[in-house]
Amino acid sequence: MRPLPEFKLHRPTRLSEALELMGALESVKPIAGGTDLLPLMRDRAIAVEDIVDIQELHELKGITVEDGALRIGALTTLTEVLESPLVAEIAPALREAVGHIGSVQTRNQGTLAGNLCNASPAADSAPALIVLGAQARVSSARGSWKVPVQELFAGPKMNSLGKDELVTEILIPELPSGSGAAFEKLGRRRGITLAVVNAAAYIAMDGKKCVDARIALGAIAATPIRLPEVKATCKGKELTPEAIEESSRACYALVNPVDDVRASAEYRREMACVLVKRAIVKAHARAGGGR
Amino acid sequence: MRYDRILEDLLNRDDFLVVGRSVVRTDALDKVLGRAKFTADYVPRDTAVVKVVRSPHPHALIEGIDIEPALELPGVQMVLIAADIPGENQIGYALPDQPFLNDVKTRFVGDPVALVVAADEGSAVEGADAVRVKYSPLPSVLDTVDALRDGAPLVHEGGNVALTTKIRKGDIEKGFSEAEAVVEDLYDTPYQDHMYMEPEAAYAIPEGSGKVTVIGGMQSPFLVREKVAHILGWNLNQVRIIQALTGGAFGGKDDMGPLVCAKAALAAVKTGKPASLIFDREESVAYSNKRFPARIRYKSGADKEGRITAIDVDITLECGAFANRAPFWLWRQTAHAAGPYEVHNASIDGRAVYTNKVFGGSFRGFGNVALHFAAESQVDRLAGELGMDPVELRLRNILKPGSRTTCDQLLDHSVGIEECLTKVAEASRWSSRKRKRNGSKVTGFGVSCAYHGISTSRSTPDWSAASLILNQDGSMTYRTGICELGQGAPIGHAKIVAEITGAPMESIRIEVPDTDSTPNAKPTHGSRGLMLGGTAAADAAIKLRERMVNVAADMLGCPEGEVDLRDGKASRKGEPGETIRFPELAEELYHRGVSPASYGFYAAPKRYFDPETGLGVNYSVYTFAASVVEVEVDTETGLCEVVKVWPAMDVGKAIDPLVIEGQIHGAVSQGIGFTIMEHLKLRDGVVLTPGFKDYVVPSALDTPEYAPTIIVEEPYQHSAFGAKGVGEPAIISIVPAITNAIYDAIGVRLNKLPATAEMLHAAMRGGAR
Ligand SMILES: Cc1cc2nc3c(=O)[nH]c(=O)nc-3n(C[C@H](O)[C@H](O)[C@H](O)COP(=O)(O)OP(=O)(O)OC[C@H]3O[C@@H](n4cnc5c(N)ncnc54)[C@H](O)[C@@H]3O)c2cc1C
Repeated sequence: MRPLPEFKLHRPTRLSEALELMGALESVKPIAGGTDLLPLMRDRAIAVEDIVDIQELHELKGITVEDGALRIGALTTLTEVLESPLVAEIAPALREAVGHIGSVQTRNQGTLAGNLCNASPAADSAPALIVLGAQARVSSARGSWKVPVQELFAGPKMNSLGKDELVTEILIPELPSGSGAAFEKLGRRRGITLAVVNAAAYIAMDGKKCVDARIALGAIAATPIRLPEVKATCKGKELTPEAIEESSRACYALVNPVDDVRASAEYRREMACVLVKRAIVKAHARAGGGR
Repeated sequence: MRYDRILEDLLNRDDFLVVGRSVVRTDALDKVLGRAKFTADYVPRDTAVVKVVRSPHPHALIEGIDIEPALELPGVQMVLIAADIPGENQIGYALPDQPFLNDVKTRFVGDPVALVVAADEGSAVEGADAVRVKYSPLPSVLDTVDALRDGAPLVHEGGNVALTTKIRKGDIEKGFSEAEAVVEDLYDTPYQDHMYMEPEAAYAIPEGSGKVTVIGGMQSPFLVREKVAHILGWNLNQVRIIQALTGGAFGGKDDMGPLVCAKAALAAVKTGKPASLIFDREESVAYSNKRFPARIRYKSGADKEGRITAIDVDITLECGAFANRAPFWLWRQTAHAAGPYEVHNASIDGRAVYTNKVFGGSFRGFGNVALHFAAESQVDRLAGELGMDPVELRLRNILKPGSRTTCDQLLDHSVGIEECLTKVAEASRWSSRKRKRNGSKVTGFGVSCAYHGISTSRSTPDWSAASLILNQDGSMTYRTGICELGQGAPIGHAKIVAEITGAPMESIRIEVPDTDSTPNAKPTHGSRGLMLGGTAAADAAIKLRERMVNVAADMLGCPEGEVDLRDGKASRKGEPGETIRFPELAEELYHRGVSPASYGFYAAPKRYFDPETGLGVNYSVYTFAASVVEVEVDTETGLCEVVKVWPAMDVGKAIDPLVIEGQIHGAVSQGIGFTIMEHLKLRDGVVLTPGFKDYVVPSALDTPEYAPTIIVEEPYQHSAFGAKGVGEPAIISIVPAITNAIYDAIGVRLNKLPATAEMLHAAMRGGAR
């Protein structure tokens, strides 16, 4: 096995210290759980001179609720997200997505922010967070600001962060009543499998009418994508099985996936429709639709 | 001697002590606690690392090799090429077609050209990258159709067909004319990687001049010794091979053991220092042997009563770059072509074809997985054509005692397939099975039978040896060349020894195979480890027992026939009061000068065959299996899940039911992987899926529900307690049972595996057959 290339490891214990380091070093990457970074380094896909281990930044841990919104610290592990009663209550779609990531071991080690910052087009938490309208708080020595989760993704395995920037928390707004979200994934076995396609849907209802719809798909383009066109076909309608079928069928023409070892483009297109349909059906039910 | 009657004829008991019971394996704790030592655990930190320089081309002439740039690197100690081999540069298994290090041409992406020996892993990798090989690429053949075309590029001089096989029996024309239904189709099965947990590894230590010790993962220490000696140009006794506990093998390490050990040995001997070669996962998946792909054209006919009247089968096996085990693999497919059914008219042809791809080789099932996939799909289709239940049609043709196989071999006893099939059908309530629909998901049921000749075929001599020593303290030391690969065969031997000598299991120590001290048991393959190896163990135990009984009888003052050995004690039958404990008995043997050691040797009954017709006695005995499988297919995504499996097997005699269940459950997972998940993708001969990320194998979550294993016991007269091998038979029936169940669920028959979600999805939409 190719050994890891050499690098210098830094282990700051305070966020400010970490941000200063990241600002000062030339060729640097942060490491959280390392479940993505280490394999990429071994394969020489990422080469940096300095690694800043952020695991000691205890201030970045934990899940809290502020004004009804969920705040998930960047270092929160996937297992912590999966087991959190707050997440189960406020963002069941995120819980579903995280439950599909890797194995127990991966989830014990990997972090939610790491899943996003790794910027894999197949990152399972991304579609769910996107339709939930989640934002990431980004910090650097220069300050801190919020960006929509979607905007963290710049290309396959490329995030939009500057080299001196860290994601410190993920913020998920409270969903209005009469709304619901859901996540669906198609892999190549029951677990520990990268998505062939994944999808999430958010549906808001006013009585029998759909008033808002947000759809996101992963593993189908260079980054997770949103399909605003589907919103147009759902909005103002009663979401009958036929209407849902029709809206999700429209995805076929909206996506332009690639062929790779996991699946052909054609199959991905077909599956995008199936998963979007399933996600809408589930989100619709959670929104109280059909009641 | 009737080995199946040891209990009645020799031990004079009607109860077993350990045989037939599920016992906790004596090696379980060490393995669970991580204390068991595998090859890499023996390698000290500063040992030199060997790296293989491999061809990046599927087919190319070598115009020159410049090793200087590598030698200039700081950590690199030596670079070895073909000219450095002291012995013969040839390591082919069945045919001499596989150079050990190539200097003329390379035949697949990964063909070895040089070995870099370096101080550490990093320098070895850099060194391998620095060796400059000048290639002149040749046109390549990447599938068997291309390879068989006129004027195709030749992988080896002499043509792309490595060998052919045939059987002619009865009159197929007459047979087909009597048929009410005739079906014909083409069945394609792909490569499968073994994906053992422990990749290939070897650690070689030079011992003075003219001796080398190699510790490695393997299935046949004596084959490894032979190949290492051959490469070094040494005598067999100059090479000492120790099999470390091996973390899974499935046939793969039978072929890879010699290749990897010989490389480490050459490096150690040339540098005069210990050297290790440990594959990473990528090397293992991309460059090690795989299950041979096969394409089988199968035509069969059955009459109104459902009797199969004729089969006409044509098998094309893809060797990849070297024949390796292809002759034995292809012969096995040819010989088993009818499946476990009596068919009087058969014509079978086989050919093994070279291509410029990674070479095929040994893998659990050894040809019978592909063969039964075709044969058992055909049987189901015949049943469909005749409107007959698939179980019923099978029962009308099934082998019974007195039946003759495709090769006209008379099966006079130990034929339990009828019972296997009837019992799984009963257990799964086959006749009242119901397809269920739940949203987009539908369930379906499939059945399949299988049979597998145990050990080697035709006239290849087949024997095994073992040794047993009663130590002064009453403990026993047992040695066998049969390898522990996770399957537990040596533990089975120990149970046989315990049963015969009355020694407690925990007092029997199984030594690791070491060619300097272990008797040659021949390879751990062909599901022969317990059957052949265990019978040699029985022979050793019987001989030692005679002496123990003789001395004990004298000490107890009773006739030999009345001595009972159990729980580490000798006593007089019916009078358990006066006992002699084994330490005391052992002491007495040594004191009287009675040998406390015994050597067991067992040879299987002779087999023979006629090369013209292919008829004869092929395998000394067969293991039979039947499975019923329930699957659930998602009609929207094509994703198939195996929901439940009902397994049955005629094992002759279950030495340990738990071990048998372990083999069956493991094989079912491997079979599920082969049928619906595992897909080795190649482009221009390059493996695109060299790791667990994209070469998807079933995980624990994909394990189906298991009905209790149905164990049928039709003892085989020539093996210890009547036991037959189980490792390979366990996987064979599962594959067609799954595809038959998929057909039952969705009416789609995929003749080309794997039936991945995407393939099934396309097939349901009529996009593929
Ligand atoms: C066996 C296995 C199976 C897997 N299965 C799945 C799966 O099914 N689905 C899936 O989506 N993923 C899967 N993954 C990927 C991985 O586990 C997740 O993406 C995980 O969430 C990454 O988190 P981490 O903390 O380990 O990230 P790391 O590896 O530590 O970091 C990943 C990247 O993000 C950057 N980074 C990390 N934290 C921050 C931060 N706070 N601010 C800025 N940048 C940061 C790092 O510099 C690096 O570039 C799998 C991985 C493995 C090894």
